Amino acid sequence: MTTKTDQRKALAKGLAKLNENMLTLAELSELAIRKAVDCFIRLDDQGAREIFTLDQEIYALQLEIERSCVDLIALHAPVARDLRGITTSLKITTDLDRIGRYAKDLGEITLQFRGRNVAPASEIVKIREMANRTIDMVDKAIDAFVKRDAESVRQIAEDDDVVDRLHDEVFAEIVRLMSNRTMEIETGARYILVNRYLERIADHAVNVGMRVVYMVTGDWLPRVRAADRAKHYPKDPENP
Amino acid sequence: MAKSKPAESAVIVSAESEATPAYVAVDIQDALIEARDLSIWYSKKQAIHKVNLKIPRHQVTAIIGPSGCGKSTVLRSINRMNDLIPYCRTQGQMIVDGEDAYGPNVDPVLLRRKIGLIFQKPNPFPKNVYENIAFGVKLHYQATKEEIDGVVTSALQQANLWDEVSGRMDESALSLSGGQQQRLCIARALAVEPDILLMDEPCSALDPVATAKIEDLIFELKKDMTIVIVTHNMQQAARVADYTAFMYLGRLVEFDRTRDLFERPHEELTENYITGRFG
Repeated sequence: MTTKTDQRKALAKGLAKLNENMLTLAELSELAIRKAVDCFIRLDDQGAREIFTLDQEIYALQLEIERSCVDLIALHAPVARDLRGITTSLKITTDLDRIGRYAKDLGEITLQFRGRNVAPASEIVKIREMANRTIDMVDKAIDAFVKRDAESVRQIAEDDDVVDRLHDEVFAEIVRLMSNRTMEIETGARYILVNRYLERIADHAVNVGMRVVYMVTGDWLPRVRAADRAKHYPKDPENP
Repeated sequence: MAKSKPAESAVIVSAESEATPAYVAVDIQDALIEARDLSIWYSKKQAIHKVNLKIPRHQVTAIIGPSGCGKSTVLRSINRMNDLIPYCRTQGQMIVDGEDAYGPNVDPVLLRRKIGLIFQKPNPFPKNVYENIAFGVKLHYQATKEEIDGVVTSALQQANLWDEVSGRMDESALSLSGGQQQRLCIARALAVEPDILLMDEPCSALDPVATAKIEDLIFELKKDMTIVIVTHNMQQAARVADYTAFMYLGRLVEFDRTRDLFERPHEELTENYITGRFG
């Protein structure tokens, strides 16, 4: 017969293993997106292929984490901070996996551009800025998770508004370049995808950040629609 | 000790003197039972230290805490069962439905008619099933045979036991299974139409199926009565209770909606206990 102390030890061990896996997953996802952006900007096809392997590792680890979370809930009926840690892990593995998937998509576009001798992304200045800000957000969210620091990510949705605005600006720039025939339609269409991937990655970083706040404090952050937050920013006079 | 959590809704209740303030997250407006500065001694040992606790009407309130924390003592003080323990002394007030249970004009027998108590181990009388229920009715009311029959049937139905024992009224209650005996004890309590049902670890001697039946019963009964349950089983508290009080070393540490207490306890001590880090 297992005693309460034995059960507690088993839960503590399971939680420690879960945390270890979560840290690895977070590192892999951040590595994937950093590498993907770097390879995309330099049109590095070799590096881009390595992202595919990373994506597979991320997916496999995500499945393992999901299974271990279900086991911990089923076997130990955890509560309070233990339960919040587990449910948060279950939720943010999906976000981290999606970040890895977008990194892979970015790698695929890098290979397509490389094959067609498309000029590097530096042409569209703001897409670099957007990539950097997105990576910063992912870094911030993951760092908050690792350090169990809710305060650093309480305002992360506002960081996302900046990325959303950049997304609109980059989109407009791509359309302009395609309209005046400076950029091929196919290239432009793929840039639009890249732009969209980065914007989605930033959204996932927001999800991670909000979940970290819940995990640490138990507070559910109110979900303010981006459109409502956007009302606080002046509209672009050229593109009302 | 307290972790970061918005405290707007919280009321820190503290006794005027030395009692440790408990974290009371919700102020119960419609309290049927209220302990005010309740202190209890067994001989010279103080078991309960100035507990202030409001128990809401028609809700299930669980009292949890490690062994010896005083949860059963508080429960038993509600219907003055502690009176039966020699050298047990009570100070402070236990307001039940607006009146102090320890007031000078209170008859403990009448008080206990309003407040049923279910024990850890089923304790039916060594009589047949029918007499177990009829006994309390005969004690408290003058009723005809037909009236008593009606009460017995309805109490057994209310306790979800009727279908299992309707043909066994003359059999000894001790021949029933443990789970059935416990539901018989609940039916016996229900027969005198109490307003309050106190349950002191009612499922600790029962298997999971019998436990589930009692838990289902608790859900049904709370429509008509106020239930206070002491339990060692944290999952049971989380399942059946609307509110939960956590006690430690004779003091109330935290009182909150069950969902909040188990999801985001305010006190480190509560957190450590419910997550199994001690106790």
